[in-house]
Amino acid sequence: MSANSEAWNAIDVVVRVVVLPKHLHARPAGQIAQLAARHQPNAVELAAGERRANARSVLAVMGLGAVSGSEVRVEVAGPDAATVADEVVEILLSPEIDG
Amino acid sequence: MVGIVLISHSSGLAAGAAELVGQIAAGARVVPAGGTDDGRLGTSTELIAAAIAAADTGDGVLLVPDMGSSVLSALALLADLDPESSGKRVRLADAPFVEGAVAAAVAASGGLDLTAVATAAEEARDVRKL
Repeated sequence: MSANSEAWNAIDVVVRVVVLPKHLHARPAGQIAQLAARHQPNAVELAAGERRANARSVLAVMGLGAVSGSEVRVEVAGPDAATVADEVVEILLSPEIDG
Repeated sequence: MVGIVLISHSSGLAAGAAELVGQIAAGARVVPAGGTDDGRLGTSTELIAAAIAAADTGDGVLLVPDMGSSVLSALALLADLDPESSGKRVRLADAPFVEGAVAAAVAASGGLDLTAVATAAEEARDVRKL
């Protein structure tokens, strides 16, 4: 959804839900936290089951304990919400050999 | 980019932590300072000082110690820095060694400043694994 009030017209909120093809390992958690740090004006949150994590915290993202086959909800609010959400989804869905 | 120095009694522990951190935080500047000058268990202010110099690109350096004399050696070094120049750019993190190093390096490689990198390391204390 897009916020449409004039006062908030620079802020978009984007929600994406993905089914993990693999466990949310340390390396993709690090990539997501780096991405969130690089796009600081945007707030990035992940939710898996009952747990939520600020994506800037690599340890909190790992602490979601999100396993292969489970759903992860990506919520991004900010000026680049759609782009950032796409990049987070790409990391979550990318195949990896280990890590 | 903020540099990270990993201070441990063991050169193997510091080097292994730096290797792990480099895998999770690609692009981070992480320098191990473990063991004594002659490779025994212990800490060396000379090795730590050299690691700080290697990690410093001008944006500051965060020291992450394991425990005990790693902390004391780091504090002794910090006390000798000029508070008007390098003393402003080097900070000591009160954080768990591995988790703090990972959190700090991810924050640093994402372009955050020294204060934010130190905060990321110290928040590691409160993050649950289970």
